[in-house]
Amino acid sequence: MRLRLKTELPDRNDLFVFGGYCLAAAVYIAIGVAYVDFLLSFWVGLGYLLLVAWLVPAVVRRVA
Amino acid sequence: MSWAAHDLEPYAIQRHVKLKLAFVPLLLGSYSPDMMTKWFVYGIHIGPWDLKATDPAKFHRGWPGFGFTHSFVYGIAIALIIWKVFDSKLWGISFLVGQFAHAITDTGDTVGTMLLFPWTFHFHLDAWAYAGQTGRMTDAAAYFSGLGSMWDAVWIVYGLFSWRVLTSRYFDDYIYRADAFWPFLNRAVPRGALLTLYRAAFFYGTSRWIAWTIWAHVIHHYPYDLSWGGPHWVPAAHP
Repeated sequence: MRLRLKTELPDRNDLFVFGGYCLAAAVYIAIGVAYVDFLLSFWVGLGYLLLVAWLVPAVVRRVA
Repeated sequence: MSWAAHDLEPYAIQRHVKLKLAFVPLLLGSYSPDMMTKWFVYGIHIGPWDLKATDPAKFHRGWPGFGFTHSFVYGIAIALIIWKVFDSKLWGISFLVGQFAHAITDTGDTVGTMLLFPWTFHFHLDAWAYAGQTGRMTDAAAYFSGLGSMWDAVWIVYGLFSWRVLTSRYFDDYIYRADAFWPFLNRAVPRGALLTLYRAAFFYGTSRWIAWTIWAHVIHHYPYDLSWGGPHWVPAAHP
Protein backbone atom coordinates (compact mmCIF):
# COMPACT_ATOMS: atom_id res chain seq x y z
CA MET A 1 0.00 0.00 0.00
CA ARG A 2 1.37 3.38 -0.93
CA LEU A 3 0.66 6.33 1.34
CA ARG A 4 0.53 9.81 -0.12
CA LEU A 5 0.64 12.99 1.86
CA LYS A 6 -2.26 15.17 0.85
CA THR A 7 -1.69 18.87 1.35
CA GLU A 8 -4.70 21.08 0.90
CA LEU A 9 -3.65 24.30 -0.72
CA PRO A 10 -5.59 27.57 -0.79
CA ASP A 11 -7.57 28.10 -3.98
CA ARG A 12 -7.55 31.22 -6.14
CA ASN A 13 -10.34 32.86 -4.15
CA ASP A 14 -8.54 32.22 -0.83
CA LEU A 15 -5.37 33.79 -2.22
CA PHE A 16 -7.31 36.79 -3.54
CA VAL A 17 -8.85 37.40 -0.11
CA PHE A 18 -5.46 36.88 1.56
CA GLY A 19 -3.92 39.44 -0.83
CA GLY A 20 -6.59 41.96 0.10
CA TYR A 21 -5.89 41.50 3.80
CA CYS A 22 -2.14 41.80 3.17
CA LEU A 23 -2.75 45.10 1.38
CA ALA A 24 -4.91 46.29 4.28
CA ALA A 25 -2.21 45.17 6.72
CA ALA A 26 0.51 47.03 4.80
CA VAL A 27 -1.43 50.30 5.08
CA TYR A 28 -2.24 49.66 8.75
CA ILE A 29 1.43 48.95 9.51
CA ALA A 30 2.60 52.06 7.64
CA ILE A 31 0.18 54.27 9.57
CA GLY A 32 1.08 52.50 12.83
CA VAL A 33 4.83 52.94 12.40
CA ALA A 34 4.33 56.64 11.66
CA TYR A 35 1.78 57.19 14.47
CA VAL A 36 2.17 54.46 17.09
CA ASP A 37 -0.97 55.55 18.93
CA PHE A 38 -2.83 53.97 16.00
CA LEU A 39 -1.52 50.55 17.10
CA LEU A 40 -2.59 50.76 20.71
CA SER A 41 -6.31 50.11 20.53
CA PHE A 42 -7.93 46.88 19.40
CA TRP A 43 -11.08 48.89 18.64
CA VAL A 44 -9.21 51.18 16.26
CA GLY A 45 -7.81 48.11 14.51
CA LEU A 46 -11.26 46.55 14.34
CA GLY A 47 -12.80 49.75 12.96
CA TYR A 48 -10.04 50.07 10.39
CA LEU A 49 -10.47 46.47 9.26
CA LEU A 50 -14.25 46.75 9.00
CA LEU A 51 -13.78 49.85 6.88
CA VAL A 52 -11.20 48.51 4.44
CA ALA A 53 -12.04 44.79 4.34
CA TRP A 54 -15.82 44.96 4.40
CA LEU A 55 -17.43 48.41 4.00
CA VAL A 56 -15.32 49.77 1.13
CA PRO A 57 -15.47 46.52 -0.91
CA ALA A 58 -19.22 46.28 -0.24
CA VAL A 59 -19.77 49.85 -1.47
CA VAL A 60 -17.55 49.29 -4.51
CA ARG A 61 -19.46 46.09 -5.38
CA ARG A 62 -22.78 47.89 -5.04
CA VAL A 63 -21.65 50.82 -7.20
CA ALA A 64 -20.15 48.51 -9.81
CA MET B 1 3.44 40.39 29.30
CA SER B 2 2.63 39.44 25.75
CA TRP B 3 1.77 41.91 23.03
CA ALA B 4 0.28 39.73 20.32
CA ALA B 5 0.01 36.16 21.64
CA HIS B 6 -3.33 36.88 23.30
CA ASP B 7 -4.77 37.97 19.94
CA LEU B 8 -3.46 34.91 18.14
CA GLU B 9 -3.79 31.99 20.53
CA PRO B 10 -7.59 31.72 20.17
CA TYR B 11 -7.18 30.87 16.44
CA ALA B 12 -4.68 28.12 17.23
CA ILE B 13 -7.01 26.73 19.88
CA GLN B 14 -9.94 27.03 17.48
CA ARG B 15 -8.11 24.92 14.92
CA HIS B 16 -8.23 21.94 17.25
CA VAL B 17 -11.65 22.33 18.84
CA LYS B 18 -13.88 23.23 15.85
CA LEU B 19 -17.49 23.08 17.11
CA LYS B 20 -16.64 22.44 20.75
CA LEU B 21 -15.94 26.08 21.70
CA ALA B 22 -17.45 29.47 20.91
CA PHE B 23 -14.96 31.93 19.46
CA VAL B 24 -16.19 35.21 20.98
CA PRO B 25 -15.97 34.16 24.65
CA LEU B 26 -12.70 32.37 23.85
CA LEU B 27 -11.28 35.69 22.64
CA LEU B 28 -12.83 37.60 25.56
CA GLY B 29 -11.23 35.12 27.95
CA SER B 30 -7.90 35.62 26.25
CA TYR B 31 -8.15 39.40 26.67
CA SER B 32 -9.82 39.43 30.09
CA PRO B 33 -6.84 39.37 32.51
CA ASP B 34 -5.46 42.66 31.16
CA MET B 35 -8.74 44.31 30.22
CA MET B 36 -9.08 46.58 33.23
CA THR B 37 -5.47 47.00 34.28
CA LYS B 38 -3.14 47.75 31.36
CA TRP B 39 -3.94 51.48 31.26
CA PHE B 40 -2.94 51.89 34.91
CA VAL B 41 0.27 49.89 34.43
CA TYR B 42 1.51 52.32 31.77
CA GLY B 43 -0.24 55.37 33.20
CA ILE B 44 -2.53 57.90 31.53
CA HIS B 45 -3.01 61.66 31.57
CA ILE B 46 -6.49 62.96 32.38
CA GLY B 47 -6.45 66.76 32.39
CA PRO B 48 -3.97 67.82 35.07
CA TRP B 49 -3.72 64.32 36.56
CA ASP B 50 -1.19 61.62 35.84
CA LEU B 51 -2.58 58.28 36.88
CA LYS B 52 -0.18 55.38 37.20
CA ALA B 53 0.38 52.51 39.59
CA THR B 54 3.24 53.17 42.04
CA ASP B 55 4.41 49.59 41.54
CA PRO B 56 3.11 48.60 38.07
CA ALA B 57 4.37 45.00 38.13
CA LYS B 58 2.81 44.33 41.53
CA PHE B 59 -0.42 46.08 40.54
CA HIS B 60 -0.62 44.08 37.31
CA ARG B 61 0.49 40.64 38.49
CA GLY B 62 0.87 40.71 42.25
CA TRP B 63 -1.04 40.73 45.49
CA PRO B 64 -2.16 43.15 46.84
CA GLY B 65 -3.06 44.17 43.29
CA PHE B 66 -4.92 42.72 40.31
CA GLY B 67 -2.62 39.75 39.80
CA PHE B 68 -5.49 37.43 40.65
CA THR B 69 -6.92 38.14 37.17
CA HIS B 70 -4.10 35.91 35.87
CA SER B 71 -5.08 32.96 38.07
CA PHE B 72 -7.10 29.83 37.41
CA VAL B 73 -9.57 30.62 40.18
CA TYR B 74 -10.44 33.96 38.54
CA GLY B 75 -11.08 32.23 35.21
CA ILE B 76 -13.27 29.62 36.89
CA ALA B 77 -15.24 32.26 38.83
CA ILE B 78 -15.94 34.42 35.76
CA ALA B 79 -16.73 31.33 33.66
CA LEU B 80 -19.30 30.20 36.24
CA ILE B 81 -20.87 33.68 36.25
CA ILE B 82 -21.06 33.66 32.44
CA TRP B 83 -22.54 30.16 32.48
CA LYS B 84 -25.26 31.22 34.93
CA VAL B 85 -26.00 34.71 33.53
CA PHE B 86 -26.11 33.68 29.86
CA ASP B 87 -27.32 30.15 30.61
CA SER B 88 -24.57 28.90 28.33
CA LYS B 89 -22.11 26.23 29.36
CA LEU B 90 -20.42 26.67 25.98
CA TRP B 91 -19.69 30.34 26.63
CA GLY B 92 -18.47 29.61 30.16
CA ILE B 93 -16.05 26.89 29.06
CA SER B 94 -14.87 28.90 26.05
CA PHE B 95 -14.09 31.89 28.26
CA LEU B 96 -12.26 29.59 30.67
CA VAL B 97 -10.00 28.15 27.96
CA GLY B 98 -9.09 31.64 26.69
CA GLN B 99 -8.36 32.94 30.19
CA PHE B 100 -6.24 29.91 31.07
CA ALA B 101 -4.24 30.36 27.85
CA HIS B 102 -3.51 33.99 28.78
CA ALA B 103 -2.54 33.19 32.37
CA ILE B 104 -0.21 30.37 31.30
CA THR B 105 1.38 32.38 28.47
CA ASP B 106 2.26 35.20 30.86
CA THR B 107 4.29 32.83 33.03
CA GLY B 108 6.92 33.21 30.31
CA ASP B 109 8.21 36.56 31.56
CA THR B 110 10.25 37.51 34.65
CA VAL B 111 7.27 38.39 36.85
CA GLY B 112 5.03 35.48 35.93
CA THR B 113 1.54 34.86 37.22
CA MET B 114 -0.07 33.66 40.43
CA LEU B 115 -1.71 30.71 38.68
CA LEU B 116 -2.81 29.08 41.93
CA PHE B 117 -4.08 32.20 43.69
CA PRO B 118 -4.89 32.63 46.60
CA TRP B 119 -1.47 31.03 46.88
CA THR B 120 0.59 34.09 45.93
CA PHE B 121 3.55 32.21 44.49
CA HIS B 122 4.48 33.51 41.03
CA PHE B 123 5.06 30.87 38.37
CA HIS B 124 7.64 32.38 36.01
CA LEU B 125 9.86 30.90 33.34
CA ASP B 126 11.97 34.09 33.00
CA ALA B 127 12.18 33.68 29.23
CA TRP B 128 11.71 37.39 28.53
CA ALA B 129 11.93 40.57 30.60
CA TYR B 130 8.82 42.11 32.11
CA ALA B 131 9.30 45.84 31.55
CA GLY B 132 5.80 47.29 31.95
CA GLN B 133 7.08 49.53 34.75
CA THR B 134 9.32 51.39 32.28
CA GLY B 135 6.38 52.79 30.33
CA ARG B 136 4.63 51.71 27.16
CA MET B 137 7.31 52.68 24.62
CA THR B 138 10.29 51.15 26.43
CA ASP B 139 8.20 48.09 27.20
CA ALA B 140 7.35 47.75 23.49
CA ALA B 141 10.98 48.17 22.49
CA ALA B 142 12.10 45.59 25.05
CA TYR B 143 9.36 43.10 24.29
CA PHE B 144 9.98 43.21 20.55
CA SER B 145 13.70 42.71 21.13
CA GLY B 146 13.45 39.56 23.24
CA LEU B 147 12.08 36.05 23.26
CA GLY B 148 8.54 37.27 23.98
CA SER B 149 8.43 38.62 20.45
CA MET B 150 9.68 35.27 19.11
CA TRP B 151 6.94 33.50 21.06
CA ASP B 152 4.39 35.76 19.33
CA ALA B 153 6.02 34.91 16.00
CA VAL B 154 5.43 31.21 16.71
CA TRP B 155 1.70 31.91 17.01
CA ILE B 156 1.69 33.97 13.79
CA VAL B 157 3.40 31.18 11.87
CA TYR B 158 1.13 28.57 13.44
CA GLY B 159 -1.89 30.73 12.53
CA LEU B 160 -0.75 31.02 8.91
CA PHE B 161 -0.07 27.28 8.86
CA SER B 162 -3.67 26.85 10.07
CA TRP B 163 -4.95 29.14 7.30
CA ARG B 164 -8.19 27.17 6.88
CA VAL B 165 -9.36 28.51 10.24
CA LEU B 166 -9.47 31.97 8.68
CA THR B 167 -11.44 31.06 5.55
CA SER B 168 -15.09 31.90 4.98
CA ARG B 169 -15.87 28.16 4.64
CA TYR B 170 -14.50 27.47 8.11
CA PHE B 171 -16.42 30.45 9.48
CA ASP B 172 -19.67 29.12 8.00
CA ASP B 173 -19.10 25.48 8.94
CA TYR B 174 -17.79 25.87 12.47
CA ILE B 175 -17.66 29.37 13.97
CA TYR B 176 -21.16 30.44 12.93
CA ARG B 177 -22.76 27.11 13.73
CA ALA B 178 -21.10 26.61 17.10
CA ASP B 179 -22.52 29.70 18.74
CA ALA B 180 -26.01 31.27 18.60
CA PHE B 181 -24.35 34.66 19.06
CA TRP B 182 -23.46 34.84 15.36
CA PRO B 183 -26.96 34.16 13.97
CA PHE B 184 -28.28 36.65 16.53
CA LEU B 185 -25.82 39.30 15.34
CA ASN B 186 -26.56 38.38 11.74
CA ARG B 187 -30.09 39.76 12.14
CA ALA B 188 -28.60 43.26 12.13
CA VAL B 189 -25.09 42.81 10.71
CA PRO B 190 -24.34 41.37 7.25
CA ARG B 191 -22.45 38.10 7.05
CA GLY B 192 -19.45 39.78 5.38
CA ALA B 193 -19.02 42.08 8.37
CA LEU B 194 -19.27 39.11 10.75
CA LEU B 195 -16.52 37.33 8.87
CA THR B 196 -14.35 40.44 9.12
CA LEU B 197 -15.09 40.66 12.86
CA TYR B 198 -14.02 37.04 13.26
CA ARG B 199 -10.72 37.66 11.49
CA ALA B 200 -10.02 40.96 13.26
CA ALA B 201 -7.94 39.72 16.20
CA PHE B 202 -5.63 37.75 13.93
CA PHE B 203 -5.22 40.76 11.66
CA TYR B 204 -4.64 43.04 14.66
CA GLY B 205 -2.12 40.75 16.38
CA THR B 206 -0.10 40.02 13.25
CA SER B 207 -0.10 43.57 11.88
CA ARG B 208 0.78 45.01 15.25
CA TRP B 209 3.65 42.54 15.67
CA ILE B 210 5.13 43.61 12.33
CA ALA B 211 4.56 47.32 12.99
CA TRP B 212 6.14 47.30 16.46
CA THR B 213 9.07 45.25 15.17
CA ILE B 214 9.70 47.82 12.42
CA TRP B 215 9.27 50.65 14.94
CA ALA B 216 11.75 49.09 17.40
CA HIS B 217 14.42 47.90 14.96
CA VAL B 218 14.16 49.95 11.79
CA ILE B 219 13.09 53.33 13.14
CA HIS B 220 14.77 53.24 16.56
CA HIS B 221 17.51 50.59 16.27
CA TYR B 222 16.97 48.95 19.66
CA PRO B 223 19.30 45.93 19.86
CA TYR B 224 17.90 42.42 19.72
CA ASP B 225 18.78 40.27 22.71
CA LEU B 226 17.31 36.81 22.31
CA SER B 227 19.08 35.38 25.31
CA TRP B 228 17.00 33.84 28.10
CA GLY B 229 15.49 36.60 30.24
CA GLY B 230 16.42 39.31 27.75
CA PRO B 231 16.69 41.89 26.61
CA HIS B 232 19.15 42.66 29.35
CA TRP B 233 19.46 46.33 28.38
CA VAL B 234 16.12 46.96 30.10
CA PRO B 235 15.64 46.66 33.89
CA ALA B 236 13.40 43.63 34.27
CA ALA B 237 10.82 43.49 37.05
CA HIS B 238 10.62 40.46 39.31
CA PRO B 239 7.96 39.25 41.78
